[in-house]
Amino acid sequence: MSITIPIGPQHPALKEPISLKMTFDGEIIKDADIRLGYNHRGLEKLFEGKSYVQNIYVTERICGICSHSHTTCFVNGVEKLLGIEIPKRASYIRMLIGELERVHSHLLWLGVAGHEAGFESFFMYTWRDREIVMDILEESSGNRVHYAINTIGGVRRDIDETQRTRILNSLKILKERTDYYKNLGTTEPSFVARLSGIGILPREQALSLCSVGPTLRASNIDMDVRKDDPYLAYDEVPFEVSTADTCDVLGRTVVRIKELFQSYNIIEYILRNLPAGDIKAKVPRKVPAGETVSRYEAPRGENIHYIKSNGTEKPERLKVRAPTLANYPATVAMLKNGFIADIPLIFAAIDPCICCAERMVEVKDTKTGRAEIKTFDELKKYSRDFYKNHKKIKKDTVWPF
Amino acid sequence: MGKKLGFFIPELWRHIFKKPATVDYPFEKLKVPKGFRGLPVLNTELCIVCKACERDCPAEAIEIRTILEEEKKFQMTIHNDRCVHCGQCADVCPTNAMTLNNEFELSEPSRWNMKFRYAYTRQLRKKSDRNVDEKDKEIL
Ligand code: SF4
Ligand code: SF4
Repeated sequence: MSITIPIGPQHPALKEPISLKMTFDGEIIKDADIRLGYNHRGLEKLFEGKSYVQNIYVTERICGICSHSHTTCFVNGVEKLLGIEIPKRASYIRMLIGELERVHSHLLWLGVAGHEAGFESFFMYTWRDREIVMDILEESSGNRVHYAINTIGGVRRDIDETQRTRILNSLKILKERTDYYKNLGTTEPSFVARLSGIGILPREQALSLCSVGPTLRASNIDMDVRKDDPYLAYDEVPFEVSTADTCDVLGRTVVRIKELFQSYNIIEYILRNLPAGDIKAKVPRKVPAGETVSRYEAPRGENIHYIKSNGTEKPERLKVRAPTLANYPATVAMLKNGFIADIPLIFAAIDPCICCAERMVEVKDTKTGRAEIKTFDELKKYSRDFYKNHKKIKKDTVWPF
Repeated sequence: MGKKLGFFIPELWRHIFKKPATVDYPFEKLKVPKGFRGLPVLNTELCIVCKACERDCPAEAIEIRTILEEEKKFQMTIHNDRCVHCGQCADVCPTNAMTLNNEFELSEPSRWNMKFRYAYTRQLRKKSDRNVDEKDKEIL
């Protein structure tokens, strides 16, 4: 006999609102249905009403962790439309912040993985070490979370000599700590046993379900936008694409730890080979009509921005495909035939950023299954009526003792 | 793979004797780095009322009102309750009249305490207090 249990939208295991409708047979998950739309913010509509300069800061707020990924993806696209080449130094600083962001995001994820696996001290240590990179980011950009380093045509702040030496010194500590975590994984059998063999995503399935980022690379596919379609100056920087062949949560952990080392090397390379020169090119405010697609390898996977301009100061359309959205179909496949107790861990392994992936809300009549378009006033009226009727039921409720 | 139970124990033991990684906020505060993007402040002596900051602010947090056109009297309100501290206003300002200071403790019990008003003639400086007039309340 199978039963269906809703997990979320508000659930202690999930940090953001999302609804997972699970069908179980005993302890085993038979089917999973992911429902989105609890965190819709209407950002894409907002983009259309703001100028390109303002939109840099709006795209930054799509995500609180990969904020730099979204702005870089956006400004790269706008620069493509403008047909301009940004100064070399600006490219390098953009990459530097991008890699620092990857380091902080992966350290954060390691902590979350430790937390979900019941290894609380690991969670606390990784998050403490993450403060080092957060401090670097704050020092070089002026903020811990929203770095706002990008502007159309370059970057807003330069890296000076003291910052450069400070980052290089901090890197040493970070490398040492990450090395410790790497060894921890190979010598702490209980942690490894908890992660291995769950959330299996075979190679073929990872490809056919179009998963991205570390989830894809843990299924032994070496796809990385930085290598396959280099943006900025990634074609000049030596690095390897990290993969794992275990196709499970352990593999995703391994990929992220390997990527941390790659990022440290990239940061070191950038700082040692930082070209001199300007950090910003002069750009016009109006963008010529046209459309473009911009790709970026965010810490969670490939991020895509589609920009359509109509020759004015404001974009006509900006469509965002955050990496988490691409990983949902694979998550359903990973959850199937797993255990209830593994749900938080499998779900956390894609490093979900739920509100980034919320792009559209469809109002559907559950009886007829038809989608409807409602104006804001109609929605307001609907909710008012709903709560009026709802209250009536509530009012009649009596204390049963 | 050398399996060794309790690999983490020496690390835990060491940390018993270490000083805490966190600070005792609000009694002890971390140093704010140079270039921190805090509260936007206007130097009314320098502002030439070009309105570039108003145009580029992504949060619509800057509002410039003309009080008397002939006497060049203007009033700028910085709605700090809306400000996202991006620093774009300081970037576009041609005269460096707008700067971001390093204040980070900006929470207030009411958003009306977070509106900073500057009334000025282009050269003369007269910074009014932080109160908000009735008209603003009506807007909300
Ligand atoms: S810091 Fe940004 S949001 Fe705040 S007033 Fe300036 S431009 Fe507007
Ligand atoms: S950009 Fe500077 S000079 Fe222009 S209105 Fe704003 S504060 Fe004044």
